[in-house]
Amino acid sequence: MSNQKKDILYGLYNDEEYLLKAVDHANAEGLEITEVFTPFPVHGLDPKLGFAESRLHITGFVYGMLGTLTAFLFMTWVFTRDWPIIFGGKPYFSAPAFIPITFELTVLFAAVGMVVTFYIICGLGPGVTIPTLDDRITDDKFCIAFDVTNAEESLTDKLKGFFSQTGAEEVNTKNI
Amino acid sequence: MDQFTITGNQRNVLFGFMGLGLLCMIITFFGDDMFHTRFWTNYLHNSVFFTGIALMSLFILSAFTTALAGWHTLIKRIWEAYSMFLIPGLILMAVVVIATVGHMHHLYHWTDASEVANDPILNGKSGFLNLTWFSAGTIIIMGIWIFFAWKMRQLSLDEDKNGDASYEHHRKIRIYSAAFLPIAGFSSAAVIWLWIMSIDAHWYSTLFAWYTGASWFVAAMASTIVLIAYLKGKGYLQNVTQEHLHDLGKYLFAFSIFWTYLWFSQYMLIWYGNVGEETVYFQERQENYPVLFYGNLLLNFIAPFFVLMRNDTKRKYGTMVFASVVVFFGHWWDFFQMIKPGARLTAMHAMEHHGGEGAHHGAEHGAELAGHTEAAMHAMPFEMGFTIPGLLELGTMLGFLALFIYVILNQLSKAPLTPKNDPYLEESLHHHVELHGEEAH
Repeated sequence: MSNQKKDILYGLYNDEEYLLKAVDHANAEGLEITEVFTPFPVHGLDPKLGFAESRLHITGFVYGMLGTLTAFLFMTWVFTRDWPIIFGGKPYFSAPAFIPITFELTVLFAAVGMVVTFYIICGLGPGVTIPTLDDRITDDKFCIAFDVTNAEESLTDKLKGFFSQTGAEEVNTKNI
Repeated sequence: MDQFTITGNQRNVLFGFMGLGLLCMIITFFGDDMFHTRFWTNYLHNSVFFTGIALMSLFILSAFTTALAGWHTLIKRIWEAYSMFLIPGLILMAVVVIATVGHMHHLYHWTDASEVANDPILNGKSGFLNLTWFSAGTIIIMGIWIFFAWKMRQLSLDEDKNGDASYEHHRKIRIYSAAFLPIAGFSSAAVIWLWIMSIDAHWYSTLFAWYTGASWFVAAMASTIVLIAYLKGKGYLQNVTQEHLHDLGKYLFAFSIFWTYLWFSQYMLIWYGNVGEETVYFQERQENYPVLFYGNLLLNFIAPFFVLMRNDTKRKYGTMVFASVVVFFGHWWDFFQMIKPGARLTAMHAMEHHGGEGAHHGAEHGAELAGHTEAAMHAMPFEMGFTIPGLLELGTMLGFLALFIYVILNQLSKAPLTPKNDPYLEESLHHHVELHGEEAH
């Protein structure tokens, strides 16, 4: 990620229906949307923006399997090699007794692994602050943002025209 | 096409398979031991399995209606049709009841009065495990189910003709649905104890009813998916899309996991507790029926878990039909391993006491078989139809399946496939769950 600040021209919409129509409109006119911010996941938005399906769940499967193996092999090693103890007259290697912990570690590894991966992908972490365009995009506003750094005036005008045409409530520029 | 009609070809194929099933049952009956154990276990197995699917479909419909779900409206006719199989199901189970009361078979150890008198465990259970409860319980409980199935079906059909914007029909269906849920919950447990768990009369598990119910649920979902794929292939149900399939797939996946969870909970507690009266059930199966025991987990957990985990496999008809066929057979297999080992022991034990024709059969292994617990410690020889399902079992199953499908197709042909005037119809038509999916078809 570059640390250079960018000029962002953005419009705020009141409703996801307007937002979806605006995105369609922008696609039809060949305007390149930099980013869209919404307070909640909007159905049907991702394909319109041309986003590929997330591969986060594949990492989830891998982390889960890692958890399964870690738990099962570790318990097997502990109870058969490292420190064998007889519990309730059962054999040292008692697979049914290992299953609950194996399950727990599978879930734990998958969940924590996916969160950490997600944070790394998004560049989030402790001490990182991400500047927002407008605080209301986490509340009730839907935002379409264009990168207008060093853009010609004709493009900026065209974008402003696009916003007023598609019913944006507010149009602002911000350097972040 | 909204009005389903059975073609002559379908009818011929289904009647052909029914004939095959009947033939297999006749062959089984005559090549059997003195109690016709293989015949009666096959009959009980399939009757309980398909009746349970009908019950679970009514339960699914009631649960969805009570939860104000709307996505399933386009396929609710299918489950309504399924629930009407409870009527033939009652006839099938009535045969079991008559045969039990008339001592025509020896599936249930507790029907033997002289045994019960000398057996403290069976004697203690005789307040519930008796012929009155078995016969009256089966008939009354199934009668109640049929009443609810019939009522909800009639209201739904009437809604097509006379429904209006007040949605009075739907309101009534909701009341019946909500009333049916607790009734189904408690009564299904009671009949499962009577029909299946009491085969291993000394043994009990408090989880058994849930476990069996989950098995029925998955089988009902699996057969629904295959039927929908078939009907769509024939040009019906054009409004049912991948989105509906996806949700059915989630149910199939989730309840396969739920079944595994119950299976494991039941197994592990008994294994850990290590009380002889309880472990006898699993020891018998694990030692003497390893193919049934481990095959059960392979078909009903490993296979659906890995096939159905990914998003896209739940949206493709090919993979979904494959997974559904596997788990449908898997849960049939599950009921097979619940019923067969226990019934076989009971029959062997009884033959030893009755002597006569069965003496030769019993004498082979009978000498050392004093009781269930001891019997479990001895190796049971391989016997087709008990150790694994044989060709006769598969033929019998296909016969019952053909009867089941015939009843359902017949019910489907009685009303339009798409319900009219249902308040949730619009929602179901626009059902959409996937962000990245291709255009639904």
